[in-house]
Amino acid sequence: MARVHEITIWTRGVVKDKEGRDVANALTLAADKEGKFTQAFDNYVDLPDRVNVPLRKYARISDEEIEMRYDYENEKPEIVVVVDQAIVKGVNLLRGMERDGVLVVNTDRSPETILKFVPNSALLKTLVCVDADGISGKATVDFSGTEGGIDTAGLGAGIAAPLLGAVAKVTDLVKLENLAGIVKDVEGLRRGYEQAVVVSLNGGAKKEAA
Amino acid sequence: MFTIPKEREVPFAGITPAPVNEQPMMITGNWRTYRPVINHEECNLCMNCVVFCPDACWQLNEAGDEVVWNWKYCKGCLICVNECTHGALTKEHELDFEDGVVRLEKLF
Repeated sequence: MARVHEITIWTRGVVKDKEGRDVANALTLAADKEGKFTQAFDNYVDLPDRVNVPLRKYARISDEEIEMRYDYENEKPEIVVVVDQAIVKGVNLLRGMERDGVLVVNTDRSPETILKFVPNSALLKTLVCVDADGISGKATVDFSGTEGGIDTAGLGAGIAAPLLGAVAKVTDLVKLENLAGIVKDVEGLRRGYEQAVVVSLNGGAKKEAA
Repeated sequence: MFTIPKEREVPFAGITPAPVNEQPMMITGNWRTYRPVINHEECNLCMNCVVFCPDACWQLNEAGDEVVWNWKYCKGCLICVNECTHGALTKEHELDFEDGVVRLEKLF
């Protein structure tokens, strides 16, 4: 089985639940357009979510059919997306991550501030900081897409769009053009792509050049 | 009369030790995005925060001259900031502080 790329999204219950779900869904739909095999789902353990509870959304992207159908948690995330910056203080975000991971944080603070709260930052290759709140300015609160229901609000209308742009900037799993065809707020997506601050850590850039 | 073999003397699932003051298995401090910060000079000990806190995170200290905040369980609802009569409580972002790191290995 080819490598399954695991993406974990940390978000806050109810108030930013929709945004986290949108990130997972849009990433997998964009990868699906390239003919990749994908899965996107909530973490069952975190549900039912309550207001402000840290909770996880999962996405998986693979070139071949994903055979880990009954593994319901991402044990070894490659990319971790944080929708609310205060979560970096509350949770061991990089648990299970192998070397050369990517951390994408929605923050208006400097990368140094975020790194201060990531104790195992030696695992990271790249840290991406994007001020998605400042770019988009709103979090969609909508429950129509939960539990298999049809999403009537549309994907990526709020802070999910700039976050997706930041993810597209540092990974080749998804293409920005494909995301632009899915996300509602295309302008926010492009601004997130342009304004994301990418920090290479632990010689990540050097390794890529070699 | 039968005896339970030693290896089967296990506690029932879902039983946790009864908390005396705090329940260390249910720490909820990582729900917080903003925290209330008290200015003790402004505080006149009206006890509104103690009464209104849904999680009893504001308590009078033993000397009885200050209210003390419990960062481990405060969920950041900021009801206390709303109810404070003297404006002694302010809302501050969690990342402005280095303390109060709740790194739970397992969420419940």
